Amino acid sequence: MNAQESMAPKIKKETKNKIKVEFERTPLKERLKAKFINTAFIGNVVWYLFRFILLVGIAYIVLFPFYSKIAGSFMSKEDFVDVTVMLIPKHFSLDIYKFILLENNYFQAFGNTLLLAGSTALIQTFICCLIAYGLAKFKFKGAKLIFGAVILTMVVPHQTLQLSLFMHFRFFDVFGILGFLSGNASVGNVEWLNNILASINIFGDGGTSKLLQGLVADGGINLNNTFWPLIVLSLTGLAFKNGLYIFLLRQFFRGVPDELEESAYIDGSGTFRTFIQIILPLSIPMMITVFLFAFSWQWTDDFYTKLFFTTTKTVLMPDVVAIPKSLETNYAGQNLYYPAIRNTCGLLIMLPLIIMYLFCQKFLVQGIERSGLTAD
Amino acid sequence: MTNELKLNQTVSVPQNKAPKKKKRIASLDKKKARAGWFFILPFLIGFVAVYLPIIFDSIKYSFSRIKIVSGEGFTIENVGFANYNEALFVNPDFVKTLVTGLKELAFDIPAIILFSLFMAVLLNQKMAGRAVFRAIFFIPVILSTGLMETINAANAVEEMMENESIADGTGESAAAQIVSAIDIEQLFSNMKVGTELVGYVVQMINDIYDIVNRSGVQMLIFLAGLQSISPAIYESCQMDGATGWETFWKITFPMISPMILVNAVYTIIDSFTTDSNTVMKFIANQYTATNGQEVSSAMAWMYFLIVILIVAIFAAIFSAFVFYQRKD
Repeated sequence: MNAQESMAPKIKKETKNKIKVEFERTPLKERLKAKFINTAFIGNVVWYLFRFILLVGIAYIVLFPFYSKIAGSFMSKEDFVDVTVMLIPKHFSLDIYKFILLENNYFQAFGNTLLLAGSTALIQTFICCLIAYGLAKFKFKGAKLIFGAVILTMVVPHQTLQLSLFMHFRFFDVFGILGFLSGNASVGNVEWLNNILASINIFGDGGTSKLLQGLVADGGINLNNTFWPLIVLSLTGLAFKNGLYIFLLRQFFRGVPDELEESAYIDGSGTFRTFIQIILPLSIPMMITVFLFAFSWQWTDDFYTKLFFTTTKTVLMPDVVAIPKSLETNYAGQNLYYPAIRNTCGLLIMLPLIIMYLFCQKFLVQGIERSGLTAD
Repeated sequence: MTNELKLNQTVSVPQNKAPKKKKRIASLDKKKARAGWFFILPFLIGFVAVYLPIIFDSIKYSFSRIKIVSGEGFTIENVGFANYNEALFVNPDFVKTLVTGLKELAFDIPAIILFSLFMAVLLNQKMAGRAVFRAIFFIPVILSTGLMETINAANAVEEMMENESIADGTGESAAAQIVSAIDIEQLFSNMKVGTELVGYVVQMINDIYDIVNRSGVQMLIFLAGLQSISPAIYESCQMDGATGWETFWKITFPMISPMILVNAVYTIIDSFTTDSNTVMKFIANQYTATNGQEVSSAMAWMYFLIVILIVAIFAAIFSAFVFYQRKD
């Protein structure tokens, strides 16, 4: 009886809402022991530590090159021959930045590239959404074939097409229609037919437009050195890595429940309007992801820009990477100094991307996470 | 009267038009199919009007010689397999480069897949600072492409010269190396495992920067795949007392195996089309040589065919092991 009473919780204080009870607990020391000294807990701690160290180490691998580039960009010439200078500049100087900004047409290139990358990325995002939506949500004959063609454009390396890409946009023409209309078409050796074909010329002598003059003379428009080749490629979903975007977006759209569209159809909305008003607002994180990829890959691209922009008239980002004249030197540290200058060019080019990435990175993971990617 | 007639008509409609109704459904499907064609129209036009001619031209150029005639554009002369002949038998380096390139591919792909899967599994776990780590690991996706690769390549040449010139000195400029390869080799030589494995791991650790840089997209795809696994499966697994290790091999790995196939194909394609690929660099160099444009076209097509063959064989073999969750 007595023992039972002592076991029962003693009421210390009782109010309307609260009750304070006193009862015997296992001492704190033993409780802590039971909680912390067992294999599961220790295993967890070891795993947490291991994971943390691993992640920090790999983060270091990713970030270290950036740090060494940034450090190098603030060094002056003397620091590159000084063996004691490793990662912290001794003679702090902004010379490299100054001369790159002054002599390498950085701002001009920035403006041009912004226009080019911005426009192509916007077009690519929209066009890839269209194509991916068509492939994901509509069943029609040949859909698989078209998807195969999309994969093909991703698989064929662009170097393979280097020469023909250049030639195609140097003498741009669609199935010879322009050539036919400007009188440059010919059919073998049939002379009378060739004469008739040559007399067709709706463009006259081309007038004042340089493009048309080129068309009449060469039988094709020279689109190189303009933004048009890249815009044409973007408009048709053939630009750099567009196959990947279409693949990702297709998987995303497949995860969107059909009921959404069906209810829109029942309410009398057409397919295109459903796409614009229902589907696109849903897929904004994914679209930002694709835009981010498209923009930054076009921003740092040097394959297409070097291929299509043969003159130096349009200054783009690849032209910024050069040694400024005022910094040219035969100094002993040249072999380390020039790379540092180039790295600084790279940093200046990357800067807008880094700023953009900081704002968009949460969409990057979100967009992909929500896509519910499946591989079938 | 009229009302009755109408009633009759309306009543008789479903009976009479029953076969027609079926047609109607078909036409709705057709309508939808037409809408589908409308959506893919930009790609279709581009593929037929721009891409196919480009591909066709590229194949044609690889069989011909181009002569640029001043004032008249260019003439194309068909030379048969001469370019292929030159690439395979006359050019001393092509076959050698091809073999090294394919060897590199065989090394890179497992490394990238393993690494990105491992990192995706880590980054999928709940922990403090996950968002920060994710943000850091996806930086290379955005920043180490195109121009940056070109800059790094240009720098590597000069820095190598610098290293050579002071090789007998302190060798301080080799500080960029993260870990000394010798340390790792010593570590592994005590473990009594095969030398091939040791070599592989050493090379993997030395190339870790490269691997991290190239596995960004793969990590994203794996992460997405991991997110799509239902947490209910893990819960029931925990109930049955499975350890983390068992859960990974019995649940995560089979569920993620389709993504492994996708990533493997993507990695193969990606790593053989990047500018830093050995064969690609070689082909790009050839482009500027005499008759190089046509010969490089021929080389690129041969390389492309080989890699397509590899992708096809790999996909065919691996797809037998892929587990697809049946959907209801």
